[in-house]
Amino acid sequence: MGAVRIACEWLGICSGCEIAILDLHEGILPILEKVEFVHIPVLVDVKEIPEADVGIISGCIENEDNIEVAKEMREKCKIIVALGSCACFGGIPGLRNLYTREEVLEKAYVTTKSTVNPDRVFPRKDVLELQEYVKPLNQVIKVDYYIPGCPPPSDLIGSVLTALLEGKEPQLPTNTVCDECPLQKERKAIPEIRRWCVDGRPEPDKCILEQGFICLGPVTRAGCGAKCPSIGVPCRGCMGPTDRVIDQGAKMISALGSIWMLDEELEIPPEEYDKLAEQLYDPVGMLYRFTLPSSLIPRKIMKK
Amino acid sequence: MSSEQDFKPLVVAFCCNWCSYAGADLAGTSRIQYPPNVRIIRVMCSGRVDPQFILRAFEKGADGVLVAGCHPGDCHYLKGNLYARRRVILLKRLLETIGIEPERLRLEWISASEGGKLAEVIHSFVKELEKLGPNPLKEVVK
Ligand code: SF4
Ligand code: SF4
Ligand code: SF4
Repeated sequence: MGAVRIACEWLGICSGCEIAILDLHEGILPILEKVEFVHIPVLVDVKEIPEADVGIISGCIENEDNIEVAKEMREKCKIIVALGSCACFGGIPGLRNLYTREEVLEKAYVTTKSTVNPDRVFPRKDVLELQEYVKPLNQVIKVDYYIPGCPPPSDLIGSVLTALLEGKEPQLPTNTVCDECPLQKERKAIPEIRRWCVDGRPEPDKCILEQGFICLGPVTRAGCGAKCPSIGVPCRGCMGPTDRVIDQGAKMISALGSIWMLDEELEIPPEEYDKLAEQLYDPVGMLYRFTLPSSLIPRKIMKK
Repeated sequence: MSSEQDFKPLVVAFCCNWCSYAGADLAGTSRIQYPPNVRIIRVMCSGRVDPQFILRAFEKGADGVLVAGCHPGDCHYLKGNLYARRRVILLKRLLETIGIEPERLRLEWISASEGGKLAEVIHSFVKELEKLGPNPLKEVVK
């Protein structure tokens, strides 16, 4: 059998996903024996996309060029793999769905502190027309397999590629970050929701969520080895939802509802609800940091 | 173009089996009139109403969502209604941030004997939704 031809492309990215491939280190050697990277812009600047067996695409859809490249990859590759949370769910750039395109351009090209642009020069629309909103890859082309994570854990990339090379169906872990987390869980309720580092720091060795800090472990797919909680940092959910969760943020609100003890008393006057809700600081940033464009409400609804 | 007058808001109401759904039944058997804009979904407990159900209802075009459970202290499962309240409180905060009026989500306590209250709640909710207008999500093209 000839070498399996792999083509990589990147769309709206930070290039962390590409570095995650390179981070396989010597783990990439057995893979390289069986594959040929026929197209990989992070290493070789070739403009034409050749035919390939497997196409790996990282990054979200944020401009016209991204759509064209994604479609061309779909035509040229037999299998398409979405690499990283930007491609899978929209990712961090998806948070711009809280703003209009005009606000985003204004911020990036005029009002950022490091920008001097008195003539208000913006990129030419005919070069890279920015889309109104960020989308994940599967809203533009059919995606066969997903490797989530921001960036995806290198061993997960390795295992998915190896499965594809062996003609097997790649599998993602189906359990949650909590299942892999070494911190001690006591099934405790929390009197209030706290902001990590702002309202204090979690005690080591104990479940971060049970200390009142939002940790997305219960609603996030395992596969990273609970990297963040293991070092005392709450999980922000970069691996995205598990197969049984449709909307990561809503499911986390459900989880919070099970442990957030407002009620030693039974009667909370409805006038106090809003005040209590303020404990949830920056709901979208906390609950949808990586998944807003693929969630049930994929963007902020702007007032007309 | 539909004017404010022709707008008939659609309400999805999650009613718990033991209190609010029984209340709705009572409203029915007592022939208490309430607007036909409501689609009642029976759940065993208001605590079973996953916030994903509520967002799904909005995504599918509901103009308002009502979560109705037993009065605090009366929950058949002791605390399910309190769980529901916490979730609704947090979800309203999320809705506000994402540009959907939090008033489109309502939490009410309705007991099995309060068929009249159920009708009143639906009346006043429909009135409020008529003022708010259609769910703005309907115009979002994914
Ligand atoms: S998923 Fe993360 S690492 Fe990959 S391109 Fe997006 S932001 Fe960068
Ligand atoms: S710290 Fe986070 S990931 Fe670990 S058990 Fe608690 S909630 Fe789960
Ligand atoms: S713990 Fe959470 S945020 Fe951290 S790497 Fe794992 S999935 Fe991502």
